[in-house]
Amino acid sequence: MHRVSKLSFPLRPAIFLLVPVAIALLAACTPENNQSTFGTAGPIAKSQADLFNFIFWIAAIVFVLVEGAIIYIAIRYRQRSPNDKLPHQTHGNDKLEITWTIIPVIILVIIAVPTLTGIWAQQNGVPDDKGEVLSVVATGHQWWFEFQYPDHEVVTANELHIPVNRPVAFKLESQDVIHSFWVPKIAGKVDMIPLNDNYIWMIGDEVGTFYGQCAEFCGIAHAHMRFRVIVDTEEDFQAWLAGMHTPAANPVAGTAEARGQTGFLTNCSMCHTTNSTTPGSYARETDTQIARWNTWIEEEKPTQVSAPNLTHFGTRTTLAAGLQDLNQQSLEEWIDDPSSIKIGTRMQAHASVYDTDDGTAKLSPTEVSDIATYLLSLKPSADAAANAVDDGDGEAVFAAKCSGCHSTGPDAGTGPGLAGVGDRAGSRVDGLSADEYIEQSLRDPGAYVVDGFSPIMPNWSSLGDESIDALVIYLKTLN
Amino acid sequence: MTTKSLTFPRLFPRPQAKWGIWSWIGTVDHKRIGTLYGITAFIWFIVGGIEALMMRAQLASAEASLIDPETFNQLFTMHGTTMVFLVIMPLSAAFFNWLVPLQIGARDVAFPRLNALSFWIFLFGSLIINASWLTGNAPNGGWFGYAPNSGTTFNPGLGMTYWIVGLNILGVASIAAGLNFIVTILNMRAPGMGMFKIPIFTWMTLITSILIVLAMPILAVAGIQLQTDRVYGTHFFNSLGGGDPVMWQHIFWLFGHPEVYILILPAMGIVSEVLPTFARKPLFGYPFVVFAGAVIGFMGWFVWSHHMFTVGLGPAVNTAFAVSTMLIAVPTGVKIFNWLGTLWGGNIRLNTPMLFSISFIAMFTIGGLSGVIHASPPTDSQQQDTYFVVAHFHYVLVGGALLGIFSGIYFWWPKFTGWFLNEKLGIANWALMMIGFNLTFVPQHWLGMDGMPRRIYTYAENMGWENSNLASSIGSFLLGVGILVFIINVFYSMMKKKMAGADPWDGRTLEWSTSSPPPEHDFDEIPQVKYRDQFWFDKYPETISEYYGHNDDDQAVPSGAQIDDDGEAAELPVVSGGADDGHGDGHSAIHLPDKSYYPFILAFGLAIFGTAFVTDGLVLFAGAPFFIWGLLGWSMEPVND
Amino acid sequence: MWTFLGSDVMFFGAFIATYLVYRGKSLNGPYPSEILNIPITSVSTFVLLMSSLAMVLGLHYVKSGEKNKATLWILVVVVLGAVFMGFQFVEFREFAHLGLTPRTNIFGTTFFILTGIHGAHVTIGVLWMAFLAYGSHKGSLRADNAQDLEIAGLYWHFVDIVWIVIFTVIYLISATDGPPPGMESVIHG
Repeated sequence: MHRVSKLSFPLRPAIFLLVPVAIALLAACTPENNQSTFGTAGPIAKSQADLFNFIFWIAAIVFVLVEGAIIYIAIRYRQRSPNDKLPHQTHGNDKLEITWTIIPVIILVIIAVPTLTGIWAQQNGVPDDKGEVLSVVATGHQWWFEFQYPDHEVVTANELHIPVNRPVAFKLESQDVIHSFWVPKIAGKVDMIPLNDNYIWMIGDEVGTFYGQCAEFCGIAHAHMRFRVIVDTEEDFQAWLAGMHTPAANPVAGTAEARGQTGFLTNCSMCHTTNSTTPGSYARETDTQIARWNTWIEEEKPTQVSAPNLTHFGTRTTLAAGLQDLNQQSLEEWIDDPSSIKIGTRMQAHASVYDTDDGTAKLSPTEVSDIATYLLSLKPSADAAANAVDDGDGEAVFAAKCSGCHSTGPDAGTGPGLAGVGDRAGSRVDGLSADEYIEQSLRDPGAYVVDGFSPIMPNWSSLGDESIDALVIYLKTLN
Repeated sequence: MTTKSLTFPRLFPRPQAKWGIWSWIGTVDHKRIGTLYGITAFIWFIVGGIEALMMRAQLASAEASLIDPETFNQLFTMHGTTMVFLVIMPLSAAFFNWLVPLQIGARDVAFPRLNALSFWIFLFGSLIINASWLTGNAPNGGWFGYAPNSGTTFNPGLGMTYWIVGLNILGVASIAAGLNFIVTILNMRAPGMGMFKIPIFTWMTLITSILIVLAMPILAVAGIQLQTDRVYGTHFFNSLGGGDPVMWQHIFWLFGHPEVYILILPAMGIVSEVLPTFARKPLFGYPFVVFAGAVIGFMGWFVWSHHMFTVGLGPAVNTAFAVSTMLIAVPTGVKIFNWLGTLWGGNIRLNTPMLFSISFIAMFTIGGLSGVIHASPPTDSQQQDTYFVVAHFHYVLVGGALLGIFSGIYFWWPKFTGWFLNEKLGIANWALMMIGFNLTFVPQHWLGMDGMPRRIYTYAENMGWENSNLASSIGSFLLGVGILVFIINVFYSMMKKKMAGADPWDGRTLEWSTSSPPPEHDFDEIPQVKYRDQFWFDKYPETISEYYGHNDDDQAVPSGAQIDDDGEAAELPVVSGGADDGHGDGHSAIHLPDKSYYPFILAFGLAIFGTAFVTDGLVLFAGAPFFIWGLLGWSMEPVND
Repeated sequence: MWTFLGSDVMFFGAFIATYLVYRGKSLNGPYPSEILNIPITSVSTFVLLMSSLAMVLGLHYVKSGEKNKATLWILVVVVLGAVFMGFQFVEFREFAHLGLTPRTNIFGTTFFILTGIHGAHVTIGVLWMAFLAYGSHKGSLRADNAQDLEIAGLYWHFVDIVWIVIFTVIYLISATDGPPPGMESVIHG
């Protein structure tokens, strides 16, 4: 037969000693941590943390009782000698069985009451008594977040501004796979599922910047899909909204910003827009969501790739979905080689400017630097009225939007020189009048590409009908 | 299905070898098949463990770049898949195979060749999944394979195809094994062994097998649907044709939650055998433990959406599933209390198997309690998809299932081999595993509450997650050392060969009544059963009245009566296979089913079919001859010549 | 066998549930109402039902030892099963001709996979029955091992019953299904 091990005893308590040791190690667990679910900044997160604590302490009591019983029994009833007499061969005890069935039921009922209250309070829409609701449509993309404010015609990405102490109701969508929308300090998560609208509401009751992160595995850059929530005072929030409708100043010709603008228009603007300030452009932008979705499914290599809206990028604090602080240096690194910051990013895979052997941009360091300078300069202009482009003024629109690539003389830049375009336009394509041809060139530039030039001109539909009409009239006057 | 007079041309004679590789390929002996399962699963356990350690190495510090994100995604996908389907399930199957016939006093399972087929299919399926590493296409969509991320639009490589093919093949193996054990337990019990006299491990096997038979087809459906989406362009889970990715989650978790109980119930059965043996007391409240297991198995079907509390199913659905999920804690609690009741007043021998079993209760309780916390949807909305959940289910699956399995290994090792595993090394094994395990997973609770999501290959320095992650990584390597000590123990003990008799632990159930290791025919005489723990009461007849004396419901069958309402089933002849020898008076000549190569051939053909999905459709034609040859040969081969 | 059938119930159950959940969710045609041909499928359903009757007769004659009658009736099962498969083949080809394939829409996906999986079951049954008919003819299937046929019969009846469920669910219940109401809102999510 076999004997009791002498070794087992000294070791046995060791495991239980280890739990406090581990806890001590975990002093790092503090509410101050950026995504701690304990250091709450909103009533929903707070009620969730309170419920957690409530259940936790009940569980802790059960834990101490059960684990204590195990240790007590193991010591009290250990075999002292192999010759100990046989214990009573008991069959069981029905009363005990009933007791330890009913007690857990009672405990669970105690837990279930606040649970159910919590579900219905949090998941059944915004209660009426919380104040004026701000609506936001949050869309998950591989691997960044897009935020639209439908009531204010504002689109932004990766940095969400909300007013303090006002309920915000989110409609959650996804552009591709399933993501999850989570700001731990303000509210628990809800998944963003393609073509299954989800809803969540929250209130931030503390002004500040809070961390959010995608919580559902969504592919190679899942770890790098983060965002920030900036809880503003009501005044700051209104000022931010107003700023989003104020155009940025036009770069002064010859500066780094102006060169950067040209570089941006040539290389980036096929996917990224910086123009959500023009009235009416918002609606068109949201329309393209469906087009993007369909290309995902229908095309082997999607042509319409979703990309963050960069309107007033210079006012943001972070880069690449909340990965790094935004500054000239980090932005240059990002533009030059995005995967040095975010492995798997679709920007590098899709944009032709990265179609090189090592995947870095086909741009000189100066060009990269200029584009970064330009992007960082994108802020609501202090003198908005002076810089606003009159949509009806074709010459002004041309200067603001087209002159980066096209001259009005015969010289070719990135794009063809446009002198005499009015004479040529009518005979370029059979069946198209001059007006129709120029409009097609703006709305569908890929339909006809002049020999010797690359098909890189962006689609300018977003300028709006008025601007396009004005441009067509202006262009026809060029000789 | 044996049409005996038809003859089929034999390419080679029926296997006769007693030793060497051919004896294993042709074997239909449940003990040998159990050993094959055990060894194969343990090898995959080491593979899965290395995958885990690679991930922990990467996560030990912030912004580390040991492993790139694509590889990391493959690692966690394969770690989960391996541990669930290639480790815990087959290790349980190893115990089922070894123990069920021995515990019910039978000479083999009901369908010995089907049993061999299950193993070979499992082996080939596991090889196919892992072959993906060699071709550089390891699955990368998570063990849960959520659509649409697992579809070709977003996951164009072959990885998820390997995953589906492998799982579907493994599913066939599991279902076949499940059927086999249900029939075996219902039909082949020793005379007199009513349903409420079978050992508790066998009971848990029965419940697990029923769950397997009902749950695995659902996984098969999910797999087929995803596969047709991927390979033939159907629209089950993509939205273009009207499909819905949430559908995948419902189907997957409708399988997935019963699967959790498929993983844990066998370990509960093991613990329910080990505790009474080393407390030298019968299991406290046997019928309640059985019913609790059955209730868990039944209720396991009604809780699947608690994996989906953040999917936005609405407050009504979440309420219903929150309540059902909390209720399932009740039968689980009943089991824990009955185990404590078993220990109470016992004469406890704290040796390795007992330490593992007691630790099982302690650790499983922690996993159960953290489970109650996120059974509450409001708190779960903070914990879903974080490390808190990772910690929770590792407490259930490592602290539960795996500790239970290790307990079983140390407990039945002398029965399987005839010699003991070394006790000192065993305790070192246990202590290292416990320290490493807790150090790994306690900090992960905190990480989850600090907002660290799962499945991220790296994290930023300013999140405050570094210390906990480092502690967790150190713990995981200690856990690895613990497993290493076990392997050392096996080889060390093999050299020492400290022999064990038939009944080294003063056991309670029938497997201890035959020699260690048991003879090929298990029992010289089929035992007659009157009591629960028959073997114990044979040894200590004076305790019969202590156990049975005070309760009318469970009176022993009066001496001489062979048949009660359940025991009757044991007398029925069964369809085919080894049934011939299982019934009757135990004195007839011992018939054992002959060896057969056809299960191996059939499984090989099936495996080749499977590889067609990851190679070329023409490969089907390569598999067909083996498949047809195996099928026809099997159908026409008599069980015995 | 009963346990296997239990397992198979879950298998078909999951497919049928998928079909029901996705019923009427197709975003483009052809829709069930435009394509299903109930009279023809009723005939094939009748054929399959008759095969179950033949199965019962076959088993009866095996048990009573009337070898030739037994072989004949089992062969009838085989033939009727094959005829059913013929109907299904023609139907599939007709649908493909009308523009419905598994890739067309969610109705096509769920319809073809569900009926296809059932068809595979019937095919396996036909092969099994053919094997048994051969055995009966050779004299190896006799009254004393009629259980072999009984088990195969259980399987056959099960496949038959599943078809009745599928016929009800797909052909009878959803025969009038057209595009979903408010389709645009679904598309634009």
